[in-house]
Amino acid sequence: MALTSPELQALEEQVPRDIARTVTRGDRIFRTLCASAAAVSLFIIGGTALFLAIKAVPALQKAGLLSFFTTSVWNPTVGDFGVLGLLIGTIIIATVSLIVAVPLAIGLALFINEYSPARIRRILTSSVDLLAAMPSIIFGMWGFFALQAPLVGVASWLNLHLSAIPFFRLSEPDAPLLRSSFIVGTVVALMIVPIITSVSRDVMAQCPRSQCEAALALGGSRWGMIKEVLLPFGKAGITGAILLGFGRALGETIAVALIIAFTIEANPYVLEQGGGSIASLIAIKFPEAQDLEISALIAAGLALFGMTLLVNLGARAIVRRTQIAA
Amino acid sequence: MTTVQSPQTAETPAANRQLVSSEILPEELHPSSRIDATDVTCWFGKRKVLERCTLSMEPGEVTALIGPSGCGKSTFLRSLNRMHELVPVAAIAGTIELDGVDIYSEEMSPTEVRSRIGMVFQKPNPFPAMSIADNVLAGLSLSGMSNEDPKALVEQCLRRAGLWAEVSDRLNEGGMSLSGGQQQRLCIARALAVHPDVLLMDEPCSALDPISTRVIEQTIRELCEEITIVIVTHNMQQAQRVSDKCAFFLVESIGDPGRIVEAGPTAQVFENPSDPRTYDYVTGQFG
Ligand SMILES: Nc1ncnc2c1ncn2[C@@H]1O[C@H](COP(=O)(O)OP(=O)(O)OP(=O)(O)O)[C@@H](O)[C@H]1O
Ligand SMILES: [Mg+2]
Repeated sequence: MALTSPELQALEEQVPRDIARTVTRGDRIFRTLCASAAAVSLFIIGGTALFLAIKAVPALQKAGLLSFFTTSVWNPTVGDFGVLGLLIGTIIIATVSLIVAVPLAIGLALFINEYSPARIRRILTSSVDLLAAMPSIIFGMWGFFALQAPLVGVASWLNLHLSAIPFFRLSEPDAPLLRSSFIVGTVVALMIVPIITSVSRDVMAQCPRSQCEAALALGGSRWGMIKEVLLPFGKAGITGAILLGFGRALGETIAVALIIAFTIEANPYVLEQGGGSIASLIAIKFPEAQDLEISALIAAGLALFGMTLLVNLGARAIVRRTQIAA
Repeated sequence: MTTVQSPQTAETPAANRQLVSSEILPEELHPSSRIDATDVTCWFGKRKVLERCTLSMEPGEVTALIGPSGCGKSTFLRSLNRMHELVPVAAIAGTIELDGVDIYSEEMSPTEVRSRIGMVFQKPNPFPAMSIADNVLAGLSLSGMSNEDPKALVEQCLRRAGLWAEVSDRLNEGGMSLSGGQQQRLCIARALAVHPDVLLMDEPCSALDPISTRVIEQTIRELCEEITIVIVTHNMQQAQRVSDKCAFFLVESIGDPGRIVEAGPTAQVFENPSDPRTYDYVTGQFG
């Protein structure tokens, strides 16, 4: 080595060398523990999916894989099943609940962080966290008994003034407005507001003080600071919070099953009585189901699983794209 | 210490200055403003950190605030554009007048005060999600102002901050892609874009190397022809290089509020201070 002149060394291309990675005994043990925990949970998830898939096969064979996803029937006696209407219904309910919940949740998060006096802030923060932990049956009952009447009022107002938008039309002028996707969606919205609020509030509270001060020192109003600094800063985290809420709305069972007038077909009249979702189908049909119908319910559950996965992946991709653009 | 400038650093900004004063913004020149602080006392909760500070910051001059750490320079500076009140427990007494109007009175809103009295912070804080150009324009969208020719405004402000030559070909890159010194000049450009009458700077060079520091000092000297500048600095040479007037803050014994011990023309404060404590501090014999 000593013979190599500096000039020669400079000419030689350098390649990355090996780095010795020595691991201590404690690290090795801990790593093994973590790895086994991960393996167990992966095994449970994989095993569940596999088990469900196997159990779903009989119904899917009987009904036909294609028609299971493209028709809207539920006839256990002849073995005819199709969940298209319920998939659409699930998305309708989840979408209504997001439309109601997101502005409420972000407004509440901003109010707590930016506008409320310190004492009220503490009270609000803990009550939001408390609500997030509330079992959904309580919301469901509250929605059923206390919220239906006022929401019917809102629904007929929306229909009266905004029927230019197709969503707010009725199939006939005096169609019943109770037990509709709109009412269910709103109740589910109230259930997911706390979790969206709590997560997005946490995210925005992480924004560096210096950024906020910079915005205010430029003569920005508080709203200007929120728009230009806080929301861009929290974008990814807020999207995550919304996704979390959406996932809950997709899977929400009890509140939907309690309130909705269950139908197998999709009901495009959001304000009108009738609708359904996969989760509520399972809750409603499972107690009485036998053999083939159980298999069909499991297949419906798998469909919900797949849909949730797709929505999550899609949203993740969107977040990643906007982050790169920023 | 005199203002000796190395030829390399002196060249670009000087060229910029000519462009600035003759071509780019003749119609946008402001008449300078003055700030008169009278008997300003500041509290954080029950703790009084600053007592009866009276100081006039004259139009077209650079006023330097000096003094040991914790004596309330930043607090005083932040009271001048109503940033002090953003701390929930903060309180203030006394008056601060911008061209004769009390900035804490009904006649002015905090947003108006802050867009007329801009601020540059100790740590560069460009908006990370915005490009360089958008950073410069951020003040406009924040305060709902509009500008017919944003491109020209970006160029003009970056030139005045002495940054144009370095970033003119990468205006769409993120603000965080710049070096620390460049980021600080970007923050100065951002502050200039809303056309402030006064610019407050809190140790703007404390995180920078000597060359960047020189560039910013030069920028300050150029800006002070149109903008009244107040700067906090721990660097005695810097205070002498850039300021016309100097105020020395001091906490006499632990637990006391900070007070202004002496204020006057920089040359006098440094060469012939009237108070022995000022003499000790500026000659480095403190404590
Ligand atoms: N947000 C705050 N809450 C409570 N006390 C504060 C706050 N900010 C500053 N203080 C106190 O006020 C006093 C003055 O602080 P200030 O930051 O104005 O000092 P300074 O002269 O700028 O010091 P330095 O040179 O270190 O920046 C200090 O004793 C500090 O502890
Ligand atoms: Mg300070």
